[in-house]
Amino acid sequence: MWEALEQMGWVKTFGSTGWMYASVSVVHYLTMFWFIGSMAVVDLRVMGVAARKRNLTELSAQIYPWAWTGMVLAIISGFLMFLTDAGDWAPDRVFHVKVGLIVISIVFAILVQRGAPKWAALPEIPNSAKVIAAIALLLWIATILTASEIPAMEGLG
Amino acid sequence: MYGLLQAFAKWLEGTPWGTGVRTSLWAYPFTQLIHFTGLSIWLGTNLALDLRLLGLGKRRETAAELRDDLFAWNWIGFCIVVLGGFLLFSSTATTFLVNVAFRWKLGLFVPLALLWHIFVQWKAREWGATQDAPAIAKFSGLAEILLWVCVITAAVEIPYH
Repeated sequence: MWEALEQMGWVKTFGSTGWMYASVSVVHYLTMFWFIGSMAVVDLRVMGVAARKRNLTELSAQIYPWAWTGMVLAIISGFLMFLTDAGDWAPDRVFHVKVGLIVISIVFAILVQRGAPKWAALPEIPNSAKVIAAIALLLWIATILTASEIPAMEGLG
Repeated sequence: MYGLLQAFAKWLEGTPWGTGVRTSLWAYPFTQLIHFTGLSIWLGTNLALDLRLLGLGKRRETAAELRDDLFAWNWIGFCIVVLGGFLLFSSTATTFLVNVAFRWKLGLFVPLALLWHIFVQWKAREWGATQDAPAIAKFSGLAEILLWVCVITAAVEIPYH
C-alpha cells in the first residue's frame, strides 16, 4: 500500500525533480524552525524565563496563531517528503517514534495555549503550569533529536 | 588568505571536538540537535518580528513590544546555532570549505541575513511604535524572511554538491 503511494505519477515527478523536492525541503525546515521557536518562547514565558514584563495572555495570543500556521505547513511539506519514499519511511521504528512525539507535542502545545489565559489571571503562574510548559518544550527538542537520528541510525532521509 | 582558511579547516578536523563529532556514532545527531534547536529559537523569533512588521496575523502587541519580548531569547538562540554549527563544521571542515552551496551559505547569505536582521531589530522600536508599521518596515521584514529562505536553500543544497 505504501509502495503504491510512492508510485503515483505526481509523487514520482515530485521526488525525482531536484528543484521541487529541494523547495519542499526548504519549506519543511523553515516552517519547522518557525513554529517550534515561537512556541518555545511562550513555553519559556510560562516558565518565567522569557519576556517577563509581558502579560502571558497577550504574548500567547500574539504567537500561537502564527505557530499553528507554521505547523500546518510543516506537516504538509513533511507528508509530501514522506510520500516520495513511503515504502521505506512507513515501517521505520525511529520514524514511528518521531510521529508519536509530534502527536504528544501537539497535545501539550494545546494545553499551554488553552492554559495561558487561565494561568495569567492567577496572582502567580502555578508550578504545575511551569512543568507542563517545560514538558512541551522538551518534547519538541526530543522530536528534533529523533528527526536527526533517522538519517544516522536508519540511513533514511 | 584561502591557504590560511584551508590550514584552519585542517586543524579543526584534528581537534578533539572535530574528531569526536566525525567519528562517534552518537555525537553527530546530537550536534545536529544543538544546531537545529538553536535555529528554531533564532528563526522562530526572527520570523515573528518580521511577520508582525508585515502586519500579518494578530495584532495584540506592536512590533516594538514584540521586539523587546523576543530580544533576549533571539540572541540566546543565535549563540546555540553558532555553537552547533561550529561543531558540525569542525567535523568535516575541509569538505565544507570546497562545497559550493556551503560557500554561498556562509560566505554570502548568512552575513547578509545577519546584518539585515540587526538592522531590522534596531529599527523595529521606531517602526513598530504604533499598530501599523510604515512601508519601509514591511519591506524590511519581507526582505529578512527571503534572506533566511536563501540561507536554508543553500543549506539544503549542501549534500548535493
